[in-house]
Amino acid sequence: MSARESVRVAGEAGSIDVSALPSTTFGHRALTWWGTVGFMAAEGTTLIVCAVAYLYVQRNFQVWPPRETPLPSLTAATVQILLMAASVPVMVWTSRAARRFDLAGVRRGMVLSTVFALAFCVLRWFELHALNTRWDSNAYGSTAWAIVFAHATLLIAQFFESGAMAALLFLGPVEPKHFADVDDSCLYWYFMTGAWLVLYLLVFISPRL
Amino acid sequence: MTAPITADPESVPAAARPGVRELHDQLERVWNDGPGLRGWLMSTDHKSLGKRYVITAFVFFLLGGVEAAMIRAQLARPENGLIGPDLYNQLFTMHGTTMMFLFAVPVMTAMSLYLVPLMIGSRDLAFPRLNAYGYYVYLLGGLFLYTSFFLNVGPDAGWFAYTPLSGPAYGVGKRVDVWAQTITFTEIAGIIAAIELIATIFKQRAPGMSLNRMPLFVWSALVMAFMILFAMPWVAVDSQFLAMDRLIGTHFFNQAEGGDALLWQHLFWFFGHPEVYIIFIPALGFVSTIIATFTRREIFGYPAMVLSLVATGFLGFGLWVHHMFATNIPQMGESFFTAASAMIAIPTGVQFFCWIATIWGGRPRFATPFLFILGFFAVFIIGGLSGVMIASVPFDLQVHDTFFIVAHLHYVLLGGGVFPLFAAFYYWFPKVTGRMLSERLGKWNFALFFIGVNVAFFPMHLLGLHGMPRRVYTYLAGTGWGDLNLVATIGAVTIFVSVVIFLVNVARSLANGELAGADPWGSSSTLEWATSSPPPSYNFAHLPVVEGRYPLWSRPIEPPVVTGLRTDERELLITTLLDARPDHRHRTPDPTIWPLLAALATGVTFIALIFTPWAAVVGGVLVIGPLVAWGWSKPKPGDPVIPEGVT
Ligand code: HEM
Ligand SMILES: [Cu+2]
Repeated sequence: MSARESVRVAGEAGSIDVSALPSTTFGHRALTWWGTVGFMAAEGTTLIVCAVAYLYVQRNFQVWPPRETPLPSLTAATVQILLMAASVPVMVWTSRAARRFDLAGVRRGMVLSTVFALAFCVLRWFELHALNTRWDSNAYGSTAWAIVFAHATLLIAQFFESGAMAALLFLGPVEPKHFADVDDSCLYWYFMTGAWLVLYLLVFISPRL
Repeated sequence: MTAPITADPESVPAAARPGVRELHDQLERVWNDGPGLRGWLMSTDHKSLGKRYVITAFVFFLLGGVEAAMIRAQLARPENGLIGPDLYNQLFTMHGTTMMFLFAVPVMTAMSLYLVPLMIGSRDLAFPRLNAYGYYVYLLGGLFLYTSFFLNVGPDAGWFAYTPLSGPAYGVGKRVDVWAQTITFTEIAGIIAAIELIATIFKQRAPGMSLNRMPLFVWSALVMAFMILFAMPWVAVDSQFLAMDRLIGTHFFNQAEGGDALLWQHLFWFFGHPEVYIIFIPALGFVSTIIATFTRREIFGYPAMVLSLVATGFLGFGLWVHHMFATNIPQMGESFFTAASAMIAIPTGVQFFCWIATIWGGRPRFATPFLFILGFFAVFIIGGLSGVMIASVPFDLQVHDTFFIVAHLHYVLLGGGVFPLFAAFYYWFPKVTGRMLSERLGKWNFALFFIGVNVAFFPMHLLGLHGMPRRVYTYLAGTGWGDLNLVATIGAVTIFVSVVIFLVNVARSLANGELAGADPWGSSSTLEWATSSPPPSYNFAHLPVVEGRYPLWSRPIEPPVVTGLRTDERELLITTLLDARPDHRHRTPDPTIWPLLAALATGVTFIALIFTPWAAVVGGVLVIGPLVAWGWSKPKPGDPVIPEGVT
């Protein structure tokens, strides 16, 4: 048993005893969820700024991509999209395991997510080359690289986050709140992969239209 | 309304309440940062960090003020030889950058980080360690800027660093890189503060403080936080683009390779205009709070006030192009942004009328905080009027880049930001330190500040109309600008004296000011005045239960409280977003050194990034260690742990 406030200051009427309330919750009830959503909003805005720059400089080019620059190649980026799509059900499943406090389940989920994130990072390397231009070639190259690279920082950060979380779940001690952390991490995952779908369409598909 | 003000629970003799003393001691053991320098460096207490944040920001205000004084000394007479063009460029850039990025915005977030948990009846911010990290990142950013300045690498391309002047072709050396990286530091700190405030305000309000009972200051902190969240990434990315153009040869702003100098301006001002409201909106919260206290009346039209704040928050994002009227923006666009700029006067006007209506029927007490509020009315309205003038394109084209703009921006920022801030300093100083500031010195402080601001900046309108450009280090005698410039400099000296009086006032009060007690104003309405001054580490022995918009005015003699939170661990009460019904208990982490170390690693990385892009790789690795250590919690006896195998 842990110590609790037992003394009542005066004022019986309207006083509230909260000792029976739970200490771990999921989703928008929890503080950390709001923290995660806050970072998603800030990072989402960063990606939007990169996209705005890409669209803005387009006005300065008669052809897009500029002459002598081949279209971005699709292979790596498409594999990436498919892999991301495959990862989402895994994360949905991990999130459910977290909400059941299923330790074996979240361990498996976080190991898988570490592996997925690592694969995303490796594929990202190929995607950058698949742009077929350099950041210092012209404004097209700069802005296309900016988008893909800015999103890469999310992938890298997620790789370390998943890895650290998996380590924690194995090495422990595991607390109930860690299940909520896993759940938040799944939410972030949907944001990260969803954002890439939009950016993929912008960078790899829209120049073909 | 206005039931008699009740004494705060802390002031009731302990003997009268068996067990209360023990409760305080126990909470103090758990919430205290620990002794000495170690405890200070590890602190995650929002009050301790908030105080440091405010003081740091105020030191930057003083430094920015010294730069302003040097600028004014140089301009006091024509062809003055005090300061050469190169230093002058650095001085006005340092002044603008310091005031905007290191003073005005941080001081507003800092005041909110200190006040919000107390005002909503909670024990700390949502993410205490993140708060410490944010503060240290900000501090390092400021130290970095000033170290560079003293090494003669101070930025010199103006506070908005327009390309191509700031680009690789013209901005030689590392000066602009220093500027760009300072921005990164401060924007990260700002975004962190915003996330703290949103989570705290949404989830930690005392039971009963539904959204429609939230104090107006908390509303303004909330709107500010949302604006930061969606505005600051723009300038953060913009300045990174600039840094990359300079370091690794990208072409974001290089017209020759399809980039665009105007892209810089769009991205900058999409942040820059909202920034003005990020400074102004919390100031409006100060004004509402202080008016309620010193007139002893509820603010007239609470729903209208809240809607105006929210509307200002939205409209603030639709005005940025009015900073670019002198570029080749399509005419249709110019008309649109003129109209939008005029429209934002509406919600501000609504608030002014609500305040006037509040003051009208009351018998205001003219204490120093209230005087500064009256100063805000006068000065801000003049700034607003010149704002309406320059919202019109033909007029703006005449005065663009002249001292008319300098006059306008200072009337707005000093009137809309610094006057309310001084009011807030006088108002909350007793809460933070437990001691009163002297009213006599306060009145001198106010009078000289008010006179000084008008004497310093009013003549600049005229100088601008006479054609004196801004950002010039001197002017010829034949221009006839000498007299008005001398007047402006005398005004600046007056401001300087006034600020010195403020510092003397603070020093004297800290040494032997009158003791404040929990609620020295006797008519305050918000919860921070229900606890002792200064507040204990745990803020409230029992969290309050709120029953109205002005909780201290409607409080029964024996106020209802929350019981049942753990006393052997740091625990927060989390309530529901709309109605603030108790929802769950949240274990919040203990003090730790890791945020400071993570901030240091971040700082080293950002600074090294000025010299090589590889710093991102090395620095990334450097930052990860402290971050993992920071997040790796060590449960204590009594904390629930999931045993192996149990699922
Ligand atoms: C305390 C007394 C102050 C004085 C005497 C003062 C004086 C000046 C002067 C003379 C300039 C124009 C320099 C030039 O264009 O050559 C200037 C620029 C500026 N000031 Fe102040 N100022 C004061 C306070 C503030 C405050 C409180 C803020 C913001 C919160 C502020 C923000 C700025 C900005 C943004 C600029 C433009 C810098 C640039 O051109 O890049 N100032 N100030
Ligand atoms: Cu503006």
